[in-house]
Amino acid sequence: MTEKKRVIEYNDQIVRLFMLASIVWGIVGMLVGVLIAAQLNFHLLNFNMEWLTFGRLRPLHTNAVIFAFVGNMMFAGVYHSTQRLVKARLASDFLSNLHFWGWQAIILSAALTLPFGLTRGKEYAELIWPINIAVALIWVVFGINFFWTLARRQEKSLYVAIWFYIATIVTVAMLYIVNHLSIPTSLLHSYPVFGGVQDALVQWWYGHNAVAFFLTTPILGIMYYYLPKAANRPVYSYRLSVVHFWSLVFIYIWAGPHHLLYTALPGWLQGLGMIFSLMLWAPSWGGMLNGLLTLRGAWDKLRTDPVLKFFAAGVTFYGMATFEGPLLSIRSVNALAHYTDWIIGHVHSGTLGWNGFMAAGMFYFLAPRLWNTKLYSVAMANMHFWLGLVGILLYVASMWVSGITQGLMLNSADENGILAYPAFLETLQSIRPLMLTRVVGGGLYLVGFILMAYNIWMTMKSGQKVNGVLEIQDDAESEKPMGLFGAIGHPAFLYSAGLVVFFCLWLFGSGLTELLGMTLSILTTVLCVVHFAKSGENFAAWYDQLLKNSLPFTVLVLLSVAVGGVVQIVPLVNIDRDSVAEDRIQKVYTPLELAGRDIYIAEGCYNCHSQMIRPFVAEVKRYGEYSRLGESIYDHPYQWGSRRAGPDIARIGGKYGDVWHYDHMLDPRSTSPQSNMPNYPWLFEKFTDYSSLNSKIAALKLLGVPFPDRSPAEIDSAAKAQAREIAKGLEEQGKEIDPDKQIIALIAYLQQLGSFEEPTPKVAKAE
Amino acid sequence: MKQSPQEDPVREHSYDGIQEFDKKLPNWWLFTLYATIVFAVAYWIYYFKADLGPTQEEAFDLAMADISARAAEAAAKAGVIDDAALWAMAKDADAVAAGEQVYISTCLACHGANLEGGIGLALNDGDWKYGGDPLQIKRIVVEGLPTAGMPPWGPVLGDEKVNQVVAYILDKQEN
Repeated sequence: MTEKKRVIEYNDQIVRLFMLASIVWGIVGMLVGVLIAAQLNFHLLNFNMEWLTFGRLRPLHTNAVIFAFVGNMMFAGVYHSTQRLVKARLASDFLSNLHFWGWQAIILSAALTLPFGLTRGKEYAELIWPINIAVALIWVVFGINFFWTLARRQEKSLYVAIWFYIATIVTVAMLYIVNHLSIPTSLLHSYPVFGGVQDALVQWWYGHNAVAFFLTTPILGIMYYYLPKAANRPVYSYRLSVVHFWSLVFIYIWAGPHHLLYTALPGWLQGLGMIFSLMLWAPSWGGMLNGLLTLRGAWDKLRTDPVLKFFAAGVTFYGMATFEGPLLSIRSVNALAHYTDWIIGHVHSGTLGWNGFMAAGMFYFLAPRLWNTKLYSVAMANMHFWLGLVGILLYVASMWVSGITQGLMLNSADENGILAYPAFLETLQSIRPLMLTRVVGGGLYLVGFILMAYNIWMTMKSGQKVNGVLEIQDDAESEKPMGLFGAIGHPAFLYSAGLVVFFCLWLFGSGLTELLGMTLSILTTVLCVVHFAKSGENFAAWYDQLLKNSLPFTVLVLLSVAVGGVVQIVPLVNIDRDSVAEDRIQKVYTPLELAGRDIYIAEGCYNCHSQMIRPFVAEVKRYGEYSRLGESIYDHPYQWGSRRAGPDIARIGGKYGDVWHYDHMLDPRSTSPQSNMPNYPWLFEKFTDYSSLNSKIAALKLLGVPFPDRSPAEIDSAAKAQAREIAKGLEEQGKEIDPDKQIIALIAYLQQLGSFEEPTPKVAKAE
Repeated sequence: MKQSPQEDPVREHSYDGIQEFDKKLPNWWLFTLYATIVFAVAYWIYYFKADLGPTQEEAFDLAMADISARAAEAAAKAGVIDDAALWAMAKDADAVAAGEQVYISTCLACHGANLEGGIGLALNDGDWKYGGDPLQIKRIVVEGLPTAGMPPWGPVLGDEKVNQVVAYILDKQEN
């Protein structure tokens, strides 16, 4: 047994870099947010420039605040706290630097592609495929650096913060890769491999869990380190940590379909989305409790310490948002709230309240320690707190009122099915003042954030960079590793795994399997409870042992998060498209329509217009028959949308004439007075990209879309012929336009929306 | 870390100075967890095992059937709306005023502030391409004319508002 003392120096330089990057990108991301929020009231704030238009900047806003602001903040917190919690310097300076500079290059390339309409057309997954690959690679670098550090740890047992970091790294990798599977058609363009309803499901499995595992779990880990540190109090309850961690990571994954309630997604998936969202309530509040109750005995410090002020408010907003989430997933509530500003408010109580305030608390905690000085101004930090708090409250309250108002107006039909507000624009006018209040709230929040940036800048200037050091004893004694079988061979795991399998048999089986599943589920539950009551000590000892074995621990996390995705996605990916299409199947696009659709996606129209009519009387009266699953089955990516800043356009095709669309795109107010939609003059100047159609159609054919066999020349001439026909029709009505302009392709796409065919007789017979 | 003597014991192990209590899970929290699980199972059985609740499509069909029945009833009660009835409405200042509001929010953008036409045909020149009788005008409003880019406004506006806007158009003809 050798024992020698040595001093290690933490890599705090990388923490400083990530922290400063987070602050800089935070300002950029929020500035874009304030701009696009203002555009919803003042459409001319895009200055008639395509690069500054809402549909292109909204993805920039979401990507910037999620991946650049929270991403960099998370990396700073993870790297700073992990080194201290495991008593080891980050494994590799090279990987740390590669991680930092790679991530910044990704952000920069996002900022240089999204405004130019280079997008995959899926929310929070807009970045084009070469950047996707870079993100995946850099994430792997992060993972290697992190797990390598764990492998070199001096502190054998893993603290709860590390559990959350592990869950973050493995789950985000899984989600990101699956949702970004694409077939490239060129260097800058690709189509997702999933289409229609499958794409919708995979998208929200990803989208919902990006919130879970990018915006929640890493921040919970950060809370578990910095909050007890700042409060100088013990964490409230270890066993609560254990229970809420495992229930959270297991349940979260299943909840994605609550974003698709009342859509054409099969009912059983919607049901799962709702019930798992409700079950998520308690696990989420476990985190809030452990945060707030840790402050017991330290509440007086809130008066003086801005760090704790931000943490207390941040955790409270977390609790609020995670109560609101399950509430919104209840079908009848969702019927009102979906597609409205209520969802926007919900998201921002999480991002501004939880992420933003936890970030601020952590930065105020870190800055004096990383630069070996005192915070420049506590008063300014307090000012930031109150500006931010008032900003969030204005933001969230106005979005609640806006969402409920517009939702009620749009859904209200009297007993004879007559719409109370037939004009969509009337509902828009009623929420304009609220959208303006939101701009003020968001603006205040940004001002507070800029104050923080200045405060931290002055703090940096007053101090000197310093890296933490720790004297450790190299301890050659190593415990017997438990190995993978030690982890999964214990009753604690076997009961859990058994319960999941038996419950699935019960819920999804029929006849004998159902009966068997039910019996075994109940038996296992009883057995587990009895066993635990008798030898709980043994379970606890096993878990203590598990905490010293990072690999088995990680495998168990991966298994927990994988179940939900497998149960939901695999059955839907394997379905026969024709047989699930009910009575309708989408018409395959003509080449020109496909070109138009890609313009629609590039302009980000899906940010404001849904293509999914829900089966409600009011919606059907307003927009036409409710959307069927088959009607978007060939759409790669799907374009169901999530927010109706404008009306649904699933059945806009043929409703108005080509001239109407021509005028409307040039100046929406000419056909729709008081509309807040931007003008699209560039569509009348830029040329349709015919040359890429061949490779695009080839990629879609590979994915199973039944395009007819045509040579590149035939595709080209078919597209041009259809364009000439539309231009001729327009000319007859006094609009002269070059048929090769983008507006023609877009009109071709819009005018076929809602068209469908009967499925082929072969399928009908098979049924 | 300071800890007053009357407090619960903390766990033996500490991480970078962070200690942990091991308090019991709050009962109300456990109750919430169990209650949502029980609800989830019950919900699943109700809708997907026993099929007691309607699917969203069935619920929609029921609502629509309800509305159709009521609409038929209301139509029977209102009596037949014929050309004469619409002409009579055109003399009714209230109906015309209501019709004007509908016209402004729904028709004006294409047919012009003074019915002079634009994207849509002029409605004030006495030239009725699809027939100028009140019921013929009403039919175009209700059903639309896809080939000409005229949307069907019947489902969106409902019968009463359609009648009012037809009355408004008729009123404008006389002037």
